Amino acid sequence: MKHLPKHLRPRWRYLAVSLETWPDERIGRRSFQRELWYAGQNLLGDPGSADADLTVMRFSFADGQGEAIVRVRRGETEPARAALACLDEIDGAPVGICVRGISGTIRAAEENYLRRRGQDSEERNVVFGNEERVAVLRDCVGDVRLDEAFAGATDLDYDLA
Amino acid sequence: MYEAVHAHPDGQSTVARLAKTAADYGFEGVVVRNHADARAEYDPERIRDEYGIDVVEGVEIRTDDRQSASGAVGNYRTTKTIVAVHGGTNAMNRFAVEQAKVDVLAHPMAGDGDINHVLVKAAVENGVRLEFDLSGVLRQSGGRRVRTLQSLRKLREIVDHYDAPYVVSAEPTSHLEVRAPRELKALGEELGFTREFIEDGLAEWGRLAERNRHIHSESFIEPGVERGRYEEES
Repeated sequence: MKHLPKHLRPRWRYLAVSLETWPDERIGRRSFQRELWYAGQNLLGDPGSADADLTVMRFSFADGQGEAIVRVRRGETEPARAALACLDEIDGAPVGICVRGISGTIRAAEENYLRRRGQDSEERNVVFGNEERVAVLRDCVGDVRLDEAFAGATDLDYDLA
Repeated sequence: MYEAVHAHPDGQSTVARLAKTAADYGFEGVVVRNHADARAEYDPERIRDEYGIDVVEGVEIRTDDRQSASGAVGNYRTTKTIVAVHGGTNAMNRFAVEQAKVDVLAHPMAGDGDINHVLVKAAVENGVRLEFDLSGVLRQSGGRRVRTLQSLRKLREIVDHYDAPYVVSAEPTSHLEVRAPRELKALGEELGFTREFIEDGLAEWGRLAERNRHIHSESFIEPGVERGRYEEES
């Protein structure tokens, strides 16, 4: 079909989103998109989520950290923000999510708000709460592996063993 | 704006990690509201210096009977800046709003707790803040979430009518559950709150902390009476 003249095309806004989870979890693009649409539908209803759009345009995830660009119709950014905030689990992995900024183009959103935090994580032995544990360290923070779960900590909480 | 958090061992992340995340997301402070039976060890000064965020020492008293709650309130009042009571049963809701020493009644509508005009009037009289707990909206789904939304709306209507003091929190138990203030405001707007209402509720923690620190400080003697700057007699 012939594409629309420029003044009839929808205006988009692009939300730069950062994601975070525990080190041994994986988040895929498809499951992120699915959960995002579910969250939108549950919070905003069908008409609201149709208005907001909430399409994932870019997605990257590695080492428990990720970044995404989410497309939203102009004027619907606040409902979209609310829907994003309601994402708490993706495939059973708890996620921390934050909107870093909003731009009118994908490129501007990436350049201004998503700096590639390419810092590799490393496993180290640490002393946390008087016990020696294994922790996944990155950029002044670390997730300490406890018996069954992780504990989120920072450099202030543990000593390198 | 402040966020009130449950830190390790009550939650999954340490105070430092929660504070770092909250600072990153644009909060001005965190209130550590660990339950009294799972207190965290931390150094508020050091975290404040490191991450540039205010750390308020608080406690949430969780018990079923009024007597032990009363004792706990007395114990913690002198050492903790913010004293909250874990609400969610009618007995504890009633206890908390009738105690002027209590700062915050946490999640009064959780479980089978309920709030009515009598309790809200008592809360106004004693200056007890009622908490709007957004964690159910953020982390539940289906019918339970609908029930949470209903209870939030009920609480909002009564609080609005009596102009009662309130606080807002997402009650994170790990750094992954922290949500930025802008997100919470957007969420509040979807739920029928105004942005100002949510912002006010988040800021109220900070005002509360400031007031209580002032009362705990050495220059404070009683309301209206303070130690001023006098010339030393030689």
